[in-house]
Amino acid sequence: MIRFVAFSIRRAWQGFWRNAVMSLAATATMILMLLLLAGFWIIQSGLTAGLQFVEQKVEVVADLNDSVTPTQVAAIEAAMHAHPEVSDVTFVSKADALASFRATLEAQGEQDLTQYLDTNPLHPSINVKLKDPRVFGTVLDDLRASDGVARDGVKDIHSLVDNLLTVTNVLRTAGLVILLVIGLIVLFIIVNTIRLAVFARSEEIEVMRLVGASDAFIRWPFVFEGAFVGILGAAVTLAVLAVVADPLGRFMFDFFRVLPLHFGSLARDLVLLVAGAGIGLGVFGSWLSVRTYLIR
Amino acid sequence: MSLAVSDLDRPSLRDRLTGLVRTRPAAAADRSVVLLHDVTKTYPNGNVALRDVDLRIPEGDFVFLVGPSGAGKSTLIKLLIRDELATRGTVLLDGQDLSRLPRRQVPKVRRKIGIVFQDFKLLPTKTVWENVAFALEVTGTPGRRIRPAVDRVLALVGLTAQAKQYPSQLSGGEQQRTAIARALVHDPRVIIADEPTGNLDPLISWEIIQLLLRINELGVTVFMATHNAEVVNALRKRVVALEEGRVIRDEVGGGYHRQD
Repeated sequence: MIRFVAFSIRRAWQGFWRNAVMSLAATATMILMLLLLAGFWIIQSGLTAGLQFVEQKVEVVADLNDSVTPTQVAAIEAAMHAHPEVSDVTFVSKADALASFRATLEAQGEQDLTQYLDTNPLHPSINVKLKDPRVFGTVLDDLRASDGVARDGVKDIHSLVDNLLTVTNVLRTAGLVILLVIGLIVLFIIVNTIRLAVFARSEEIEVMRLVGASDAFIRWPFVFEGAFVGILGAAVTLAVLAVVADPLGRFMFDFFRVLPLHFGSLARDLVLLVAGAGIGLGVFGSWLSVRTYLIR
Repeated sequence: MSLAVSDLDRPSLRDRLTGLVRTRPAAAADRSVVLLHDVTKTYPNGNVALRDVDLRIPEGDFVFLVGPSGAGKSTLIKLLIRDELATRGTVLLDGQDLSRLPRRQVPKVRRKIGIVFQDFKLLPTKTVWENVAFALEVTGTPGRRIRPAVDRVLALVGLTAQAKQYPSQLSGGEQQRTAIARALVHDPRVIIADEPTGNLDPLISWEIIQLLLRINELGVTVFMATHNAEVVNALRKRVVALEEGRVIRDEVGGGYHRQD
């Protein structure tokens, strides 16, 4: 058994280098396809994270009367925290509201006209974040009924949320479909490239059959060779990604900082995806290609 | 008739090459290496390649298979190496019924046959030595047994000096001798040669024939399909003639009367 594996690996290694042009062509195809797959996977992850981020931005805002007392605010906060649907409650005072309004203007490069005002026209508010933007429960009604909340201070955001979720769901599905299509393209191109590489050696397989090699002795060296192509392709792809990751990450730093994207787990998943797809497709492609010659 | 054959009482090629030939038991005389009974082969497209073929080749025989193109020579050889299965009738190789052979056993039967083709079928990326060793490597022969076996058959076919050359560096005759060495290295019971001199000029063809005769003298059965009337007529060996899928002649010392 060990001798058989050693034999297969040795033959796979020889087969790879003695047909270097074909093997390297297959490896190059593998690298390009894995880069394509990894690229789209990163884009897909970014998209998903971005959509999640947008969805989390959905807040129920309750404008309060200017005369609201700290006791009333504390009561509303406590009541909101008691709702299981609520993830976070923040109180924004008149001063906070003005400060953040000014910050927004500055960020947009607009002139700050509020300095010409005698009084602060903004209302204090309670911002309620929901765990799931679709699940309101009785949050809106309870807010409206609370003391200190301005009349019509709570906007009905049901339809807004529905529209937003429709858009994000379409985008999420589209992203997934594109990733699947890319995955299929990668599958077919890699398997076909390996088929060609095996076809180029159909004479070798024929000789093996004629001298009485058993199926296992014909198949496994090719399967190991496919695994070599996969390992080599995945290693080069990951090296390229590692080199590119740093400048690209810096370039997109602000983007990534905003998004709830965990870089550590993204990198880990990417390594698993690239290595798994490379080795898996290499082995699968070889197995399938040699099978054609063995079934007779 | 019992066709079961044990390998114990048969001198191996190694024994014969080293002069350790054991005396053959008397029973060996009616033992057939190849036995076809009532064999018909119809291809899926309706083409009938062989009709009611009966053929018996005893061990140690040298048999020519002749006939015009399309007479069924190639089909007959494909049946013997179990590349195709007979539509009707039985094909026995060394006593084993090829149509009843489980798929997993096919490689083992093929090791009893040494096959030589018109186009040599050598691997261009391997040297002469490696091409011959390849046949042993891919059948799981331990490395320590490969070297002596390959050296021995290369000496037999006279290619020791060319062992490290690649097929592209060899003449046609040398390439065919490499292929014969590869066919022999398994110590087969029968050498099946399909037009082995088809690509060679007359002088080199004679060299190859002489080599096959020598191998036959060492006790290996030789079954050779050929178009080479000169060789067939000169040697006065057994000749089986096929025409339109039927055996029309089977005689010892027969000639090859080409009509095309």
